[in-house]
Amino acid sequence: MERLYTISAYTENHPGVLHRLTATLTRRKINIESLTVSETEHRGISRFTIVVRTTPSLISKIVKQIDRIIEVVHAFVSEDNDLIFREIGLIRVAADDKNKRPEIEELAHRHGAVVTYATDSSLIVEKTGEEDDINSLFLLLEPYGIREFIRSGRIALRKSSETRELGSPSGKGEDIGAATVDFQQR
Amino acid sequence: MEISGSEALWRALLNEGVEMVFGYPGGAIMPVYDALYDFADDIKHVLVRHEQGAVHAAQGYARVQGRAGVCMATSGPGATNLVTGIADAMLDSVPLVCITGQVSADLLGTDAFQETDVIGITIPITKWNYQVTTAAEIPEIIAKAFYIAQRGRPGPVVVDITKNAQLEMLDFEPVSIQGIKNFDPNPSLNIEYVEQAVEAIKESDRPMILCGHGVLISQCESEVIDLAERADIPIACTLHGLSAIPSGHSKYVGMLGMHGNYGPNLLTNESDLLIAIGMRFDDRVTGKLDKYGIKAKVIHIDIDAAEIDKNVAATIPINADAKTALQAMLSLVEKAERPEWFARFAECAEKEFSTVIDAETNPTEGGIRMAEVISRVSELTGGEAILVADVGQHQMMSARYYKFKYSNSWITSGGLGTMGFALPASLGAKAGAPERKVVTVIGDGCFQMTIQELGTIAQQNLAVKIIILNNNYLGMVRQWQELFFEKRYSFVELENPDFVKISEGFGVEAERVSTRDGLMTSLKRMLDSDGPYVLEIVCEKEENVFPMVPSGASVSDIRLE
Ligand SMILES: Cc1ncc(C[n+]2csc(CCOP(=O)(O)OP(=O)(O)O)c2C)c(N)n1
Ligand SMILES: [Mg+2]
Repeated sequence: MERLYTISAYTENHPGVLHRLTATLTRRKINIESLTVSETEHRGISRFTIVVRTTPSLISKIVKQIDRIIEVVHAFVSEDNDLIFREIGLIRVAADDKNKRPEIEELAHRHGAVVTYATDSSLIVEKTGEEDDINSLFLLLEPYGIREFIRSGRIALRKSSETRELGSPSGKGEDIGAATVDFQQR
Repeated sequence: MEISGSEALWRALLNEGVEMVFGYPGGAIMPVYDALYDFADDIKHVLVRHEQGAVHAAQGYARVQGRAGVCMATSGPGATNLVTGIADAMLDSVPLVCITGQVSADLLGTDAFQETDVIGITIPITKWNYQVTTAAEIPEIIAKAFYIAQRGRPGPVVVDITKNAQLEMLDFEPVSIQGIKNFDPNPSLNIEYVEQAVEAIKESDRPMILCGHGVLISQCESEVIDLAERADIPIACTLHGLSAIPSGHSKYVGMLGMHGNYGPNLLTNESDLLIAIGMRFDDRVTGKLDKYGIKAKVIHIDIDAAEIDKNVAATIPINADAKTALQAMLSLVEKAERPEWFARFAECAEKEFSTVIDAETNPTEGGIRMAEVISRVSELTGGEAILVADVGQHQMMSARYYKFKYSNSWITSGGLGTMGFALPASLGAKAGAPERKVVTVIGDGCFQMTIQELGTIAQQNLAVKIIILNNNYLGMVRQWQELFFEKRYSFVELENPDFVKISEGFGVEAERVSTRDGLMTSLKRMLDSDGPYVLEIVCEKEENVFPMVPSGASVSDIRLE
């Protein structure tokens, strides 16, 4: 049975990493539901958040294949109940009829969204939340006429606060002295 | 000291102990070749005839030397000609550093002359790759390339160097690397699993060691033998595990896989404990997965965590260097004796001998058979040669019938099954192990894929003994058509050129033999000759390789005929 998984991968910030990472998924024909890359608390280290739908047995194999990529510092997978996750939706709602604007603003407000921009003919409503929250607001705004809709990829943090020391090899191979070369800093 | 990027490249290679490079020049790598002119005394460059030859030669060299092979090509077509060999090295865990020239950094992305996105193309088939666009990066990136290619599970690395970086000046300082951030080539051993493994061996009645390429890479042949002797466990080798255990060793029971031996395949499904060491449960070994090892627990020792549980679920996963893991196990493992279990293997071997092997290796009528050739070569060389084989029936026959005496004596393309691999790989092997006899066995189809490397062999005067097993067929494909496609022979028959004349045209001594009577003398003449030698052996046209696990069948459905 396929399920939704969120893969988090700390990587060196380096062109080519995206390609290498997604190739791991595409060769198994796994579709990416969403993908976000951003900076992290560690300088020179990016964090990929990739949402995929696949089977439990495949996901662990894929994460191991991602984890062995040289530029990947650490990768792990989580399911939704272990995560705090957010997406942002931007919805351009038709508002040619000026009388409808307070109604739309009120609706947005009640659903924890804000109107971030207004033109003569439309309003841009911004909503941060889980996918479902954004979708339900979308449905409520639909009767006013939706001109454009876009949703960001997911960003996610694990609920547990366990963190991992980055930047040193995880094992203690005999060959690895303390002086590890840090390519990012040079 | 200010030197050019190109000179820095050679100095960095020397710093890594590189003695030999296989390559082919062209526009985007000319500064590097110009700098090489001054290093000709320090590094031997072998000029091949096609870049595919360079990469396979580097693979052969890497396999005999146990360290990274280096190959070099220009941008565009030079680099794309390397692709097959890089993919081959990736699947077979061969350490390579492939250096490609690239157009100048300011031209990248403009469809400049001979520009291809080498990094993009090679991402899925490299362990790591990197594009160097400034000279200053060269010393460090080369050091990193070797570290990554050789450590942990070995693999190919591509370093693409733009022309401006080759020409720019830099202040050169040699770099050596003790480790790389975030890359742990030597995962630490979990002693709990070691103890569980030892316990499982103690409890097992019918254990079996599956010895893979990792045993050779980790150089733990003697540990495997110790384990087998102490706990009385049969050892079967995968295609790439061959030669790790002397073929005549009392615990050795033969080869696994589609055309492996009868006993090891059949008894996989009777075994109650599979001890997999440095092997990856390739589908050519496992056959139908849900009917594989049906009664067995699995101890899986592999340095690559991604291999564990990939195809076969491990009861006891040991993600570590095989030598380290085995040494830990050996200190705990108890003596045992399993004569009944070994008797099962002996029965199977007897059955395989009487139905297949005897007739194949000692025929008295009909054309020359591949198995008899390999047996005779095995006898004449005392099993002491390095045997290189191409891909097809002749490969399987070589694997089945050569009796290896020394470890690390078998080189072939396993994972990718690249026709044309053997000729260039054998020249690399000979260059890397000049003191050893190198015999290469090539099909008539395969020979014509990289035949031009005869030119390299002649120019370098590398004494490779080349046997062409000529059946005028793409034999392995023909066999499948015969067995599984109602003998509808679709484009498998070859009208071949005169291989003797061609070889002589390249300046390589050659002869043809087509009768059993002449076989021994011809083989002896070849083996006793000083230089390279091509011996074309005209074989029985339609022989089949048996036993065989038909594709998609269970290992225990192995057919003897
Ligand atoms: C590059 C490449 N193309 C096609 C194949 C498929 N293939 C596998 S074996 C084989 C036939 C090899 O013929 P030959 O070299 O004459 O060896 P034989 O089987 O006759 O001993 C072919 C076509 C392959 N493995 N590699
Ligand atoms: Mg043939």
